[in-house]
Amino acid sequence: MMRATLFALGLLLLPHAAGAEELVAGLSQDQIQITSSYTGSDLVVFGAIEQPPDIEEDTQPGQRDVVVVVRGPAAMMDVRRKDRIAGIWINNREVTLEGMPAYYYVASTRPLDKIAPPYMLARYQIGFDNVKPQSTSTHKAARAELFRQAVVRERARAHLFTETPSGVEFLGYSLFRVHVPVPAGAPRGQYTAEVYLFRDGVVMSAQSTPLFVDQTGLERNLFNFAHNEPIGYGLAAVIMAVLLGYLSSLIFRQQN
Amino acid sequence: MEIYLPIAEMSVHWLIILAMGGAVGFLSGMFGVGGGFLLTPLLIFYGVPSEVAVATTASHITASSMAGALAHWKRRSVDFTMAGVMLSGGLVGTSFGVWLLRILREAGQSELVVSAGYVILLGVVGALMLRESLEAIRATRSGTSLPSRPAQHHNWIHGLPIKMRFRQSRLYISVIPPLALGLAVGILSAIMGVGGGFILVPAMIYLLRMPTSVVMGTSFVQILCVTAATTVLQAASNYNVDILLAGILILGGVVGTQFGVRIGAQMRGEQLRLLLAILVLAVGARLLIDLVVTPVDIFSVTVTGP
Repeated sequence: MMRATLFALGLLLLPHAAGAEELVAGLSQDQIQITSSYTGSDLVVFGAIEQPPDIEEDTQPGQRDVVVVVRGPAAMMDVRRKDRIAGIWINNREVTLEGMPAYYYVASTRPLDKIAPPYMLARYQIGFDNVKPQSTSTHKAARAELFRQAVVRERARAHLFTETPSGVEFLGYSLFRVHVPVPAGAPRGQYTAEVYLFRDGVVMSAQSTPLFVDQTGLERNLFNFAHNEPIGYGLAAVIMAVLLGYLSSLIFRQQN
Repeated sequence: MEIYLPIAEMSVHWLIILAMGGAVGFLSGMFGVGGGFLLTPLLIFYGVPSEVAVATTASHITASSMAGALAHWKRRSVDFTMAGVMLSGGLVGTSFGVWLLRILREAGQSELVVSAGYVILLGVVGALMLRESLEAIRATRSGTSLPSRPAQHHNWIHGLPIKMRFRQSRLYISVIPPLALGLAVGILSAIMGVGGGFILVPAMIYLLRMPTSVVMGTSFVQILCVTAATTVLQAASNYNVDILLAGILILGGVVGTQFGVRIGAQMRGEQLRLLLAILVLAVGARLLIDLVVTPVDIFSVTVTGP
C-alpha cells in the first residue's frame, strides 16, 4: 500500500513536456506458478519508448536510460548479528526490520550511479542502497543501516536480490526487453514491475504493473497442510513413518 | 530432479537425500545403532535448518525403530510395563523439549544449542566408545579376556521409594529411575532428534539391571512411541517437520539398513566399535569447527512474517 502511494506521488512529480517520449511496457505473465520441479524461471518485462510519429532515431536531447525494478511483497525480518563469545560465534544483537521487500530485482542500461544522482535513485527506491524498511526496532540510524545491508547481502546470496547494470536489452531503437529470474525460494504474494525512462538523470516516464507469484503443486499443499492443520500433519508424518517401517520389515523378512 | 522442500525451504536433488538416508541406514545397520545422531548433523552440514533437521530426523527414527519393535513384540521380548513407565516420563520430557526449542528459536539460539549439544554428546559418546574398543582390541591381542563387571545384587536404585513390580523383567524396583530415564531421553529426542538408544540400552542393563533378553525390545518400543509423539508435537508447535524430506530419507534408510546389517555381520565387534567411535568423533569435531570458525557472514536473517 505504502509503496503504491509513494509510486503515485512520484509520478505526480514527473515533468510533462509536450511531445515527450511515452513509455509502454508489459509482462510476459501476470501470474507465476512455482511448482515442485521448479528451479526458477524467467519473467520477461518488455516495452517500447514511443515518440511522436515519423521519428526513427533518438532526436531527444540528453542521455536516455531505462531502469526496470521488480519488487516482492513486504516482509518482517529478524536480523541477528553473531559475536565471538568465549571462542564461539553466538547470535547476540537482534534488530527487526519491517516492510522490507522479500524480493528485489533491478536492471538498467548502465550502472545506476551513472544514470541518475543519488537523491533521484533514493526517491524511487532504485538500487540496493535504496531498498529501505518502513520501520526498524532500533532508533540508531547507523545500526539500522548495518542490519539493512545484512539483509541485502543475505537476499543477494539466495538470488532474491539482484542488480544487473546491463540487464536491459534493446532490440532496435525503441523496443527493449528484460529477463527477470524468479528463483524457487521466491516468496508468494503480490509483486510489482516498475519501468522507468530516464533522460539525463531525470525520470521522464514510468509505469507500474502488478503481478502475482504463487506456489502450487505438492510442496505448496504440504506447506499449507503443515500450517493449517499442524496436528493432522504431524499424525500423517507418523503414519507414513510407521507404514514405511512396517512395509520394509515385511519385504526384507521375505528375502532373508 | 530438483525438488523444493516445503518446510526446510530449500531446493535439493532428491537423489542426494535418498543417498544420505541410505548411507545413514547402512551405518546404523552395520553398527546396530539408530543413526539419529549421524543423520541430524549430516542434514545440518547439507544446509537444512537445525530445527528442521532435528524434527525430521525424529520421524525417520520412528520408521527405523518400527521394524525392530515388531520383531521383538512377536518374540514377546518386550516389557510393556517398563516401556509404559518410561514412556510417561518420555512424553513429559519431549513436551518440555519441544517447548524449549520454541523458546530457543524465538531467542535466535536454537541453532547454537543443537550444535553445541551435539558437540558434547558426540564427544563424550565417541571418547567412551574409543576407549572401550581400544581396550577390547588390546585384550584380544594379548589373549586375555576382559574381567566382566562384578555382579552387584543391590545398588542405590533399591533404596528409592514407590516400588513397582515389572513381571517381564522379574524386577521389583522404584518407578523413579525409569521415569527419569524416559524423561531425559524424551528431552534429547525433542531438541536433538535422536532416539536415545545409546543411553537407554546401557542404562537399562547396568542401572535398572533388566535381563538383556528384554532390553532391546523394550527400548525399541519406547523409542518408537517417544519419537512418534515428538514428531506430532514438533509439527503442532514448531511447524518444523518436513514430510517430503522425511519420506525420502526413510526410503533410503530402510534399503541402506539391509546392506549394513549384512556387512556388519562379517566384521568383528570391537573393530566395528572402533570405526564407529572415529566416525562419531569426526562428526563432533566438524560441528565444533563450524561453531569456532568465523562465519561467512556474521549476520543472519529470518523472515518472521508479512
